[in-house]
Amino acid sequence: MTTVPKVFSVKTTPKEILEKWYHLMTLGRAIDEKAPNYLKQAIGWSYHAPYAGHDGIQLAIGQTFEKEVDHIFLYYRDMLTALSCGLTAEEIILNGISKATDLTSGGRHMSNHFAKIAWNMHNVSSLTGNHTLHAVGVARAIKYYGEKAVAISVQGESSLSEGFVYEAINGASKEKLPVIFAIQDNGYGISVPKKDQTANRKVANNFTGFKNLRIIHCNGKDVFDSMNAMFEAKRHALETGTPVMVQANCVRMHSHSNSDRHELYRSEDERGYVLDYDPLFKFKRMLVRYERFTPEELEVIENKAKNELKEAHKLALKAPDPDPSTYLDFVLPEPHHPAKYPDGTHQENGEKKKLITALNETLKAEFRHNPDTFIWGQDMANKDKGGIFNVSKGLQKEFGSKRVFNAPIAEDFIVGTANGMSRYDEKIRIVIEGAEFADYFWPAMEQYVDSSHDYWRSNGQFTPNVTIRLASGGYIGGGIYHSQNIEGALTSLPGVRIVYPSFADDAAGLLRTAMRSRGLTMFMEPKALYNDPKAATVVPDDFEVPFGKARIRRQGDDLVMITYGNTTHMCLEAAEKLSKEGVSVEVIDLRSLIPLDKETILNSVKRIGKVMVVHEDKVHSGFGSEITSVIMEEGFEYLDGPVKRVGSSFTPVGFHRSFERMILPNTEKIYNAAKEVLAY
Amino acid sequence: MSKTGIFYSFNSTKTAKTAEKIVQEFEPEFNVQKVNAEELNEELFLSFNNLILGVPTWFDGELPIYWDEFVPALEDMNLKGKTIAIFGLGNQVEYPENFGDAVGIMAELVTNRGAKLVGLTSTEGYTYESSRAEVDGKFLGLVLDQETQPRLTKERISGWVKDLKVQFK
Repeated sequence: MTTVPKVFSVKTTPKEILEKWYHLMTLGRAIDEKAPNYLKQAIGWSYHAPYAGHDGIQLAIGQTFEKEVDHIFLYYRDMLTALSCGLTAEEIILNGISKATDLTSGGRHMSNHFAKIAWNMHNVSSLTGNHTLHAVGVARAIKYYGEKAVAISVQGESSLSEGFVYEAINGASKEKLPVIFAIQDNGYGISVPKKDQTANRKVANNFTGFKNLRIIHCNGKDVFDSMNAMFEAKRHALETGTPVMVQANCVRMHSHSNSDRHELYRSEDERGYVLDYDPLFKFKRMLVRYERFTPEELEVIENKAKNELKEAHKLALKAPDPDPSTYLDFVLPEPHHPAKYPDGTHQENGEKKKLITALNETLKAEFRHNPDTFIWGQDMANKDKGGIFNVSKGLQKEFGSKRVFNAPIAEDFIVGTANGMSRYDEKIRIVIEGAEFADYFWPAMEQYVDSSHDYWRSNGQFTPNVTIRLASGGYIGGGIYHSQNIEGALTSLPGVRIVYPSFADDAAGLLRTAMRSRGLTMFMEPKALYNDPKAATVVPDDFEVPFGKARIRRQGDDLVMITYGNTTHMCLEAAEKLSKEGVSVEVIDLRSLIPLDKETILNSVKRIGKVMVVHEDKVHSGFGSEITSVIMEEGFEYLDGPVKRVGSSFTPVGFHRSFERMILPNTEKIYNAAKEVLAY
Repeated sequence: MSKTGIFYSFNSTKTAKTAEKIVQEFEPEFNVQKVNAEELNEELFLSFNNLILGVPTWFDGELPIYWDEFVPALEDMNLKGKTIAIFGLGNQVEYPENFGDAVGIMAELVTNRGAKLVGLTSTEGYTYESSRAEVDGKFLGLVLDQETQPRLTKERISGWVKDLKVQFK
């Protein structure tokens, strides 16, 4: 164990610094104790997690943070940390009572989630510890851009039970990133004691086997021990560029939150001794004992804090409430609007390119266009290998291993660090292969969900500028985890654009638009079409396709098929077959699922009256159900029969080719369904 | 005999009872003065030549708050000529990773300032994973486990005090 130097002690720390600390601690405790009253008076602050007992380490974390240089991610118990970072009492209360001027979210996010994005105090989720991945991601940017700064991830010890926290620490260790994991250990995850979380009481010691990771234990109830630990952690992270974990032993003096009653699971004796070890009183006693302050001097500071709180309270109560009519704001940021190709079509002639080539060339072109573009994923880059399907072939060779690199087999890490890295600077654009195959993406869902509401939750202050590429769908004989579709589940979440091209030119155009846009885009690639000549098209070098703009791939008058991805080609084949029978079929290739081009859909519905919705994903709760509902609600009177849905059965996709043929849609099934609709 | 004091928290329960037993074991040959560690000051501490410190382990291996607050004072003391013995309570089943750590922390503090540490004991009969109180196979004081080995306490105290009587002469 390396010794932590004693830089700070009660006898040697300058008096003005001690005064500042005592002021912060007194003010913080006053707010901590006042917070439940706002709920009792029905003003707000319905969620408050008191920090009392964590005073030493929270003060120290905040004092270690350098605003606008370092990046910090607080958790829901970090009120004193927030004050110590520099937030005012008024700003704390504005968050607590969810005012429009709340810095974190303007009342959109839960109380006790403190942030000030302008200072790099990030807006974090309520999902405990999921910001650990964001801290690692932003530290990757700190290292790449050569900045002398650290990322600080603050969290409770129970969060270390989460798999994604393991992934984050593993990544920081592997990549040697300047991250401080500040773990506040109060012995409980709500009511669950440490012994039910892990075998090791000193949970940080679970990570002793990680290379490049220094672990420091400290007494989080003691100001000086905490200051020395955090000071050393930052020095180490800055000087070595490697991660540090600080485990601070704290006590939780009260219940987990105001909806918890700790007397239900803690003995009277325990509740008593944690109160006895009140870190604020200990600090006060020491200041007097070692004659740094007289009791009278401390009283002056206490009174100053009391008055400050009174004034902050008055100002916060006067602040405006959020305007609920703004609820639709900040679901998605404004995307890049293609100027040359406003409707995402072109008339260029020339050599046709395969879909995979179109993607590869667009990636390279965009990497040349924006030097702050990065890509990573599993199997991304190793010698001549470039992506599981070689979509990214040659990227690492041209752009280097700092911009194009492999990720561990950890899907949540891939997505979470993309979110984190994009927090560093608005100019950064990140492309990730979210998983080897689309249906391997599920482990990343917590980061996907979290990223989906970053923009809304931060009141438009932060959006992850990330494009997630996923090789999707079947017809390759891959079975479960290799041949399935997941967009039906993903489209239920607001905050992400989802595109699913069928042809090479649209793939190139949508990818370029995604990579030039702000916000999160899910880019589904029909992998069966990567090398299929029928998806090959002429692709203009600068082609762009706007989001939410469908493309009519075949015009017709008797029946409209609304589709995307693999089934676009099947619909076109069925349409061709039907044309020989004298039936005129229109095929709409949606290209974008979110935003959905309702205008093109409804125009065709109104004109034609007979409608099919076709996709490869399951019919049951598939995205086609949403399309059908839109048509029923907004185009019912124009229908000349029920909307017919065609897709997969409500089963997994089987491995044997015969199962795949039975389960997935095909041209014949579409043709037969069309005949049914046409019979109305 | 040099002035001997036993320092412990008068507000504690188990540590105070243990201290009483230790004092009884010293009687009648030794007069051991009881001092409340919660009301300690440098002058009082230094007025003794033989010191028995009651240092239970708190939380995951910390000094009790009253000793912790005395550390800045201790760090500036010259303890040359002082003979110090330490006892402390721990729980080797619930806290096997830091069994009796506080005894080790205090031992390091006082020996670094020149005190002679006495009353080292055998680790035999204990089962734990690690302890800052253990150095070279011995505890740096008397470590008692009233939670899981209460029946052994009396004998352990008796043997320890017997040794201290020799060391304190």
